[in-house]
Order: sequence, then structure tokens, then C-alpha cells
Amino acid sequence: MVALDRHATSTTDIVVDLSGVWKVYRQRVRSARVGDLLRNLLRPEIRVVEALRGVDLTVRRGEVVAYAGPNGAGKSTTIKLLSGLLAPDRGRVRALGMDPVRDRVQYVGRIGVVFGQRTELWWDHPVAASFEWKRVVWNIPRPRYERMLGLVRELLGLDDIFRTLARELSLGQRMRADLALALLHEPEILLLDEPTLGLDVLARRRILSFIRELNREREVSVIVTSHDMAELEQLAGRIVLLHQGEIAFDGVFAELRRVLSQRRVLTLETASEEAPLLVGAELIRTMPGRHEYAFDAARFKLSDLLEQAAAQAEVLDVETHRAPIDEVVADLYEHWLKASPAAQPGSIMTSST
Amino acid sequence: MAVDSPFWRRACEKLVGEEDSGKRLLSLWRLYATMDLLFLARGPQVALTFYVSDFVVGLAAVTATFLLAERFDGIGPWTKPQVLFLLGYAVLVRGLINIFFSYNLAFISRRIGRGQLDHVLIQPQPLWMVLLTEGFAPVTGSGMFVPGLGLLVWAASQLNLEVPPTWYLLLAVDLVASIAVVLAFEYIVGSLAFWAPRAAEEINSSSWRLITQLAPFPLEGLSTWALGSLLTVVPVGLVAWYPARVLLGVGTTLWENAVLPAVAVVLVTVAFWIFSRGLRHYGRTGSTRYLDYGHRR
Repeated sequence: MVALDRHATSTTDIVVDLSGVWKVYRQRVRSARVGDLLRNLLRPEIRVVEALRGVDLTVRRGEVVAYAGPNGAGKSTTIKLLSGLLAPDRGRVRALGMDPVRDRVQYVGRIGVVFGQRTELWWDHPVAASFEWKRVVWNIPRPRYERMLGLVRELLGLDDIFRTLARELSLGQRMRADLALALLHEPEILLLDEPTLGLDVLARRRILSFIRELNREREVSVIVTSHDMAELEQLAGRIVLLHQGEIAFDGVFAELRRVLSQRRVLTLETASEEAPLLVGAELIRTMPGRHEYAFDAARFKLSDLLEQAAAQAEVLDVETHRAPIDEVVADLYEHWLKASPAAQPGSIMTSST
Repeated sequence: MAVDSPFWRRACEKLVGEEDSGKRLLSLWRLYATMDLLFLARGPQVALTFYVSDFVVGLAAVTATFLLAERFDGIGPWTKPQVLFLLGYAVLVRGLINIFFSYNLAFISRRIGRGQLDHVLIQPQPLWMVLLTEGFAPVTGSGMFVPGLGLLVWAASQLNLEVPPTWYLLLAVDLVASIAVVLAFEYIVGSLAFWAPRAAEEINSSSWRLITQLAPFPLEGLSTWALGSLLTVVPVGLVAWYPARVLLGVGTTLWENAVLPAVAVVLVTVAFWIFSRGLRHYGRTGSTRYLDYGHRR
């Protein structure tokens, strides 16, 4: 492994520190009725959206944090605050011992940002030109640039697209190039906002594996947002779940599963084509002779369910496994959605760390 | 107190910027010049398209004035060669803006409205440095500069001007001031996009047309109010007419020589103030939208 030649960093091990951060947006609400035209112009209705409500979060050096939540939960707002693009309305944002907005010039030289829905590549130039642009603008010393260039070209497989115009790249190729571009200056913090959005399985696997490798080898702290829970679980040890601008859960994935649900999936193969009716289990899929149920293991025993099934049909085979993390979290989001307004965010689960 | 103390060093840095700012500017200009050359060198069709379209735009910008001068053997008190000088000056100002402030840096409302300011803010360099360098396109932007300079030199030769060396200094100062006036006007109007990105994204296209289309016309004969407005509120007269008048010695006094740079300083100050307020607003609200084509350039 090559020697690290990082900039001097703060003495503390904490690289990101959000303390009581609030971010509020004001949106004009307009009705589509012609009768409301004058009111829309003169006294528009303003809706206040509290994107972040007193968020406290710390991230340590070398930590990979999955930052998840339903649409509008405040994920991208947090990434923008940490990128120095937004200032908090209340509270304090510190990263690498600096204020991202006030110390922007110095700070952004030490972080890498990738927004999945946009690119930092120069559209009408080959990828190589964007890399050279980055070297000059970020003032990266030539030896470090060459070393990092070699690393990202190899690990992200950029050789075949290095001389291709950015506008001619596929989405997966573009993301690889964008990720590589964000790493050329050896950032200490990597902020990834939905980096695998719209990518196919292969491109996704390549990028995830690269981020894991990078974190392991170089102790880069990574904060990654995504809607794909399975992907986040592969990548991060810790997950922070946001709900309506508050942290609803902060802990490891295993803890999330334990706290959230004992949801299991039970698959039965029966001699008869019809699915047995099981009290305490929900039939989620069925085809002749094969039936899939979901049940809460904390409330219903597997043996009771099997007894019920055996009483109704000849059971040929049984499989049981934990529900995928995606389903677990989807259940949680659905629960939040159905919850009454009185069920305030943060009340569903307590922070575990 | 020793002048090399940290206090004095910091104070000097505040005034003139970091000590290597000059080197950084040169290095960035070189980078963008190289990228611009590579962009054009993609193929002869690209180069041809660029220069032909710029030539047509440049021709369209001066045709009306030229035909009027040709038909009436001058316009008002301006002789035909003087009108050509005025045209050359106007085209040269546009050409220099195209060279130094390309890629929507002169049309800042587009960058704000499309969410492209985020690209700028994640670069580890002061915003002024990005605004001064990222639009440098000496190759693709020279389509109007070369004919403008040619026209100015040719008209000057027709006029048999006998000018002292200070005249060239005045020409340079006036060119910089005229460019500053156009850019300040564009940034004052374009900053509206901070507050209404969707509605004001293209507002700089309109303000650009407003300030450049009338620029090559002599403004004598207008009422005091109209002329006053065209020298202050919508400073069309300062883009070419006023400086050409000064440079050709049409009713010039020392006081008149100082008007253009003075107004340029005032307008740049106002533009800086409005743009800074807009940036603060941007820091509170962020980009309210992001287009697929809201990417670099």
C-alpha cells in the first residue's frame, strides 16, 4: 500500500459533527383555480417545510455511514450542508474542524462530493481532460495526482473510457468517472448522494466494491445516501435513518433489524395446490403447491404455523428466512406514512448509539 | 510595527489577495485556453460552425448602423469613418467579453437558474477567481474579437488620427470600463435568478440584447432624460458611443474622460452588492432545481 500524504487534520477522531441542526424551507403554495389568481399574487400561502429538525450526528474517521430515509426526509439537505452549499438555519455544522460555509475554499479541498443526478465532468471533453482540469483547479501535486490516477483507473476500470467524451458515456461509465474525479485529491471525507442511482447490477457492484476498498485501504470517511437498503448494508456498518428531518435510528444494521421487526418469510411446499390459511401469517405469494408467507416471529411461533399448515394440507417442504432489509425498511416507511400526525418523528424508535 | 508582521501580511493579503493569486490566475487561464483549443480541435466542422456563426452574429450586430452611415454618409455629427470606429469599438467589447466570460459567465442567470453554481462552490478557490477564469475561451471566443479589432484599426487609419501614447492607455481603460459596465449590468439583472430561478433563468438573454443591440448607434439628438437613462439606468451609451466619442475627441473635456471609469466603478459596486446578497440567499435556500443540462458549461 502506498504511503498516505494527507493534509494535517484536526486532532480529534471525529470528522463530522452536526449539533442541533435545523434547516427550514419556505414554499409558495398555489392553487390552480383562476379565482385564486389575485390571492396567489398578493398574499400567497407559504408552506414551511422543516427539512432538518435539530439533527445531532457525529462521524468518526474511517467510518462508513449509510444515510437513509424516505423521499423528503432531509438526506440531500444534510449532504448539501456538509458540502458547504447550504448554511444551517440553527445549530452548528463542523467538519474536519471547519465551518463548511465560512471556510469553504479550504474545506472543499479536503472533501469529495458525488451527486448521483449530476456530473462534474466537462460535457464536451474526454474524461482525461476533466481529470487534468481537476489537477490544476485543485492544485494537486503531480506525484499525488499520478498515484491516484493510476489507482482509480485500475480499480474503477477507466482505461476504456478515458479518452471518450463525457457526453458519450453511459450512466454507469459516467458514475465511475465522476467517482474517480472526486477522489483524485485524496479527500478525507467522501459524500455520496445516491451514487448508484439508475445503474445496472454490474456497474453498481463495481462502484460498491471500490468504495469498500477505498475505505479499508485509506480510512476515508464515507457518508452515502441511497434508497437501496441492501446496497447500503453491503457498504456501511452503521445506518442513520431519517424521518421528517429527525434521526429516527442511528446504529448498526443488525440492531435495526432487531429493533424494527422479527419479520420472517416462510415458504411451504404442499401436496395440494391451494395455500393453507395460517392465522398469524400473511400470504404474500402463491403458485400451485408453493406458498410464501410473512410473519412476525416475536408474536407467532413457527411451530404453531407449521401445525396449522399440517392440519390443512400435506407439507412436503419448509423454508424460512429473514426478510430482506429492503422489506424491513419499507415496512417502517409504510408505518410512518400510516401513523397519525401525533406520532412524531423519532418516537417510533429510539437512538441506539 | 514591522511590515512583515503577520498583521501586515494578513492586511496586504486582504487587499491584494493571496500572494500567489496572480500565478493561479495565469495557470487557470492557460488551462481553460488549452481546453478551449482542444474543444475546437475536435474537427474542422466544429471550428467552421463556430466561426461562421460568430461572423453572422457580428455582421447582424453592425449591419443596421453601417447601412445607415453608408446611405446618409454618416449619422448626425458622426462621419462615416467615425461611425466605423464606433462599430469597431462595439464589436471589440463584445469580442473581449466572448473571450473572457464565455460559458455563461456573462449570462449568470443561466448558471444560477440551472443550479450550476453548485459546481463552482465545490471548487477550492475563491468565487471571484472562478468568475474571472472559467469562461476564458480565446479560441472559440475570438470570432468577434478579430473583426472588431480589424474594423477599429482600419477606421482609425481612415480617420488619420494623430494620437499621443496616452490615447492608447485611454483606449485600454475605456475598453475595460465598457466591459465592466456590460458585465455589471448583466450581473445586476441576472441576480434576480437567485430569487426566481425558473422565471429569471433566461433574463440575461434579454438584458444582453437590450444593452448590445443599441450599443453601435450614435445617441446624439436624444432628449436629456432619454440620454441620461441610457447612460445610467440602462447604460447602453457607455458600451461604445460614449467612449468612442471621447476617443475621437468629439466635445471632450478632462471631466468627460473620467465619466466612463467612474460609472463603471459604481455599477460594479452595485452588482457586487446585489450578487453577494443573492449568494447569501442561495446559501439559505440552495438551488431550487437542477436540470439535466445544468451540468458544467
